[in-house]
Amino acid sequence: MIDRREQVLAHVVLGLFALIALAPVAKIVVTALGEPGSFSTAWSDGHFGTYLRSSVLVAVAVVAISSVLSILAGYAFGLMRFRGDQLLFYVLLLGLMVPLEATIVPLYYDLRDLGLTDTYWALILPQAGVSVAFGTFWMRAFFRSVPRSLVEAARLDGASSWSTLWRVIFPLARPAVLTMVVLVFMWTWNEFLLALVMVSDEGLRTAPLGLAFFQGRNTTDEALLAAGALIVATPVVLVYLFLQRHFIRGMLSGAVKA
Amino acid sequence: MAQASFEGVVKRFGAVEAVRDLTLEVRDGELMVLVGPSGSGKTTALRMLAGLEAVDAGRIEIGSRVVNDVSPRDRDVAMVFQDYALYPQMTVRDNMAFGLRRRGLERAEVDRRVAETCRTLGLDELLDRRPRQLSGGQQQRVALGRALVRRPQVLLMDEPLSNLDAQLRVQARGEIKRLQSEVGTTMVYVTHDQLEALTLGERIAVMNDGRLEQVGTPEELYERPANVFVGGFIGSPAMSFLPGDDGAVVGVRPEHVRPWAEGLVGPLAGRVAFVEALGRETLVGVDTDAGARLVAAVEGRADYTVGEPIRVGLVAEGMRRFGADGRPA
Repeated sequence: MIDRREQVLAHVVLGLFALIALAPVAKIVVTALGEPGSFSTAWSDGHFGTYLRSSVLVAVAVVAISSVLSILAGYAFGLMRFRGDQLLFYVLLLGLMVPLEATIVPLYYDLRDLGLTDTYWALILPQAGVSVAFGTFWMRAFFRSVPRSLVEAARLDGASSWSTLWRVIFPLARPAVLTMVVLVFMWTWNEFLLALVMVSDEGLRTAPLGLAFFQGRNTTDEALLAAGALIVATPVVLVYLFLQRHFIRGMLSGAVKA
Repeated sequence: MAQASFEGVVKRFGAVEAVRDLTLEVRDGELMVLVGPSGSGKTTALRMLAGLEAVDAGRIEIGSRVVNDVSPRDRDVAMVFQDYALYPQMTVRDNMAFGLRRRGLERAEVDRRVAETCRTLGLDELLDRRPRQLSGGQQQRVALGRALVRRPQVLLMDEPLSNLDAQLRVQARGEIKRLQSEVGTTMVYVTHDQLEALTLGERIAVMNDGRLEQVGTPEELYERPANVFVGGFIGSPAMSFLPGDDGAVVGVRPEHVRPWAEGLVGPLAGRVAFVEALGRETLVGVDTDAGARLVAAVEGRADYTVGEPIRVGLVAEGMRRFGADGRPA
């Protein structure tokens, strides 16, 4: 049992850290709201409508592609034995360990040779690749935590690997999958370097990149900058809020086996 | 229904031989119990029969078909798992129907068979519940129902009662025995509990260290153990052993050890090591002066104090002699 004094102390410490984390955000909100019309001006001047559309398109595509591939790959690595599975898994993990900065230049030339620079594919494919590495790692950990007997029962019941996955295991994986979706969506949304290097066409710019250009043009108008920042950040916050219950559950189930 | 057999079956995990040269036949419609201490290979043998573990050598047959390379789903066996392995997101109905649907049975037939099995097992009330909403005993019955509803050729059970409390276990044991005689399915039942094996099995296969030690009816195992291991494993309290000549051993069960009287073999002098009053009988542990520990079952209450000198004798027809190799001499 935690006694009362410890509880108060814990709340004070947590409150303090929450304050430190939230203060800058609060300042941005206050600044943006301080000047009437800052949001509509930012929206039209900054072409955020176009940027957000690009970002949504890229993020949704990356999430969709990487989720399907990660679930399938995680299932294979987590519950099946095959020749070279260990080695393959470590190769896949390289995708998690090598920073994008290290590969961005050769990646640019590769995509240019394929004629994909200045298309959405230049943003979707590399990001999906990185996300599959994380997603496979994540889903494999989940599939490993599923009682083996459940998979065996399904096999004896006559289910193929495919229907074992989708009918027996996947329904249990929902919290883990939703957590993965939130994380991948967030990382894709906030990705900056890739968009900066791969696209020059303004119509393809993603929101963070658009925001950077917007801030470059309006260095002095703080309210406008703050409004732009909020417009770009809002979708991630919404996705998070929408899925947060599952998100927390998924994070915890990864850490502590129930 | 079908018979099932192991012929010279071997299973290795790395350097460990989990099952050594197992040859065993399970007759059509029989309830065969595999019993042994943990690590004896009984569960591995069962899992090989199910197809969940590959066979390293030998042959496994179900019916008259060699199934070594047949996948689990094509073997037509069902299994009740120790942790039941019910599909958590499905209702009892769907849990039971899952296997039937995978086999492409028509909807009406699936419903009919689920309803019928539920009636047999008294599960009607629970059809729309999920496993989480069931007690341990109910979950166990659903797991049994899910296996029975498939009408498999062979029904496998891996310690299905070990998660139940003592009272429920006795009840469930009776139910399994009743079902087996009603349905007549060939069953292979794995347990580490020799009492469960004795009360349940038509025939019992005792395994130890990957080897099959003896197969027989409960009476055969109890009365004529094939070796020291079986004598010591079957029966509670276990058979006591006295050293004989040339490394030979004499085994004797508690009911054949009595306070000294004319007509018994003995006397053997010693001291009382422990007294366990069980009501109907009292178990008296005796450390003989020759250095062996005997257990005597004395009817009713018996007044002994620990450390007190005592003389006991053995009933001649209850004595089993084993040679130095552990086999009957």
